[in-house]
Amino acid sequence: MSAISPAPSFATRWWNGTGVVRLRREGAVAPIGAFVVFFVVYVIINPALLTRFQLQTAANLVVPLALVALGQLIIVLVGGIDISIGAIMSLCNVVFAVQLETMPVPVAILLSMGVGLACGLFNGLLVAYGGLPAIAVTLASAFIFGSLAREVLDRPGGGVTKEIYLATSGELLPFVPVALVWLAVVAVLLWLLLQRTALGRHIYGVGSNMESVRAAGLNARLTKLLAFGLAGVITSFGAMMLAASTVTGDPRSGDPYLLSSIAAVALAGAAFTGGRGSIIGTILAACTLGLIGNLLFFAGVNSYWQYVISALIIVAVVGIPVVWKRIAFAARGARS
Amino acid sequence: MTTPGTSSVTGTPETVGTPASTGPLGTAPGLDTGGPADGSASPSPDSSSPESPRGSHASFLSRVPRAVWPLVAFVVLFAVGGLIRPNLVTIDSLIGTATFAIILSIASYGQTIAVIQAGIDLSVPNTIGFSALAFLTLVGPLGPVGAFVAALAAGALIGFFNGAVIAKLGLTPIVTTIAMNGLLFGVILLAFNFSELTVTPDFVIAITSAKISLLGITMPAVLPLGLALMLVLQLVLSFTGWGRSLFVVGAAAETARLAGLPVDRIRITGYMLSGVLAAFAGIVIVGYYQQASATMGASYLLASVAAVVVGGASIFGGRGSVVGTVGGALVLGQVSTLVTVLNLGANIQQLIYGAIILIVISLYGRRRAA
Repeated sequence: MSAISPAPSFATRWWNGTGVVRLRREGAVAPIGAFVVFFVVYVIINPALLTRFQLQTAANLVVPLALVALGQLIIVLVGGIDISIGAIMSLCNVVFAVQLETMPVPVAILLSMGVGLACGLFNGLLVAYGGLPAIAVTLASAFIFGSLAREVLDRPGGGVTKEIYLATSGELLPFVPVALVWLAVVAVLLWLLLQRTALGRHIYGVGSNMESVRAAGLNARLTKLLAFGLAGVITSFGAMMLAASTVTGDPRSGDPYLLSSIAAVALAGAAFTGGRGSIIGTILAACTLGLIGNLLFFAGVNSYWQYVISALIIVAVVGIPVVWKRIAFAARGARS
Repeated sequence: MTTPGTSSVTGTPETVGTPASTGPLGTAPGLDTGGPADGSASPSPDSSSPESPRGSHASFLSRVPRAVWPLVAFVVLFAVGGLIRPNLVTIDSLIGTATFAIILSIASYGQTIAVIQAGIDLSVPNTIGFSALAFLTLVGPLGPVGAFVAALAAGALIGFFNGAVIAKLGLTPIVTTIAMNGLLFGVILLAFNFSELTVTPDFVIAITSAKISLLGITMPAVLPLGLALMLVLQLVLSFTGWGRSLFVVGAAAETARLAGLPVDRIRITGYMLSGVLAAFAGIVIVGYYQQASATMGASYLLASVAAVVVGGASIFGGRGSVVGTVGGALVLGQVSTLVTVLNLGANIQQLIYGAIILIVISLYGRRRAA
């Protein structure tokens, strides 16, 4: 058999390699392509991006969004959506900033992570064990967590210091922003968790087909609960990175991240019915959306265009594959 | 052809559900007890039989339209307010709460339409802002009526794009309307010259903040306007073929398609109506508060969904009413009044909003298939 069929070319073999197949299946090819195009255009218009200062600024701008988008991605993977993610971010942000006034840094970090975990578990309990729709539960908790955040700290402030800024948002080595290192650490750990552990595979499974997972004797509800908790913790990382890079705690700092985290997950090609979505796609989608404003600034365009262009990119990147599939389907039908 | 939902209209404008709305879900005792969810209530809306195992009492409760419960809750809250502060039980206090609630309701009517057809419209905030600013900008060249029509047309166009992308491209409503919301924010910042937009035309003031006397009670004109709009919308939803088919599309889109309903067209027109209503809300808000800004709609993002959910609509679609939405807004408005009177602060108000939403969804927000 193998003697008759010609050996596949290197390109075909590469294209069918497991990693690429996984990326295609997870819908990550379009966002990766979009990011590459975006990055090339950016560097052509503004070669100074590759200077130390601009790299660091860009990283600090993008990393909180990327982390919150990863949190949102995990919820979307189990077939939910988190309307409260902006409020969780605000709450973790102010808890971190306020605790720094009195507590040692590790305690503040742990408390902020704990608050994120608690918020996620609160949502997860109601969704997984209460049988309530995620969108409605997180709508309610958006009001609750948001009000708690303003109860903790009612105006921007807190005790974030210069040292913390340097540890999260400075430079590790020349040309290597610390923020990107932290993002990479979280992303790799999350990737290992999702792709190499049973829990991770269950998370994808619960999103693709909850009934099958349950029929296979796995604890689908516990998986969902843990997914919400995990998302809460990752959101708290984003909140702490934001507090550190802005050197302040702000009870409304998370608000803009509600819509932009969902936009990033959508741009990443994730399915909002669950079960499909990739980490690398989400991070690159967040980078694209986060840097459009900068690109326009350097191109001399009114940076208000960033809102219009972001929307068009999302609709184009998510919509074109759908249209393409339909045209291909129609063409196949016409031929047969 | 006759839509399956038509048969369920029993004559009262509040009755909006498909046959499923008379199921055992309605047996929940409403907000007045404030108790936890009754876990034993069967969450299956498919059992359309009114014969509840809990006997005639439960069966009677199950026949009460859902839209009544938020109104009952409002009356209870109003009475509670009266017990705490007897001077709260005045016509003026009622009118104040109702005015706040009706403005929130007008902003939530469009959201109600979107939720009924199993969608959601997160572009409501910036549709409000866009139509308000477009209206103020166009009043000069087009006159107030021309500008009014143009702003509503802009809302229809926004809704058309939302609906077309959702129905034809198959993008998720949440993603589509978030993208539209972002796009509109850019357009708002790019297109309008804010420094020139200070004068609110008399025409809009006359239909919103101007005090009128009705039945011997002085009230802002926006109150009867919003209630009249509620009546018209409820009649359209309950008694027209288009309105009934919106519920069918929301409850079971595939069934509707197989039954020969033009699902895509119903979706698109639904989002267009949603856009027009959000645009109308923008003009009303300009008239009542007499100020406009780029972020004037931001607070309606979550509040409009909250009013719809508290009003008893199912976030999965196929169930909801504008009367319920007004009831939901009244509940939220009365909470706001009580919080202000008791001097608890805006944070507590948000906390209570969240708790109310949790109570409502735990009463009848169970997942269909779980």
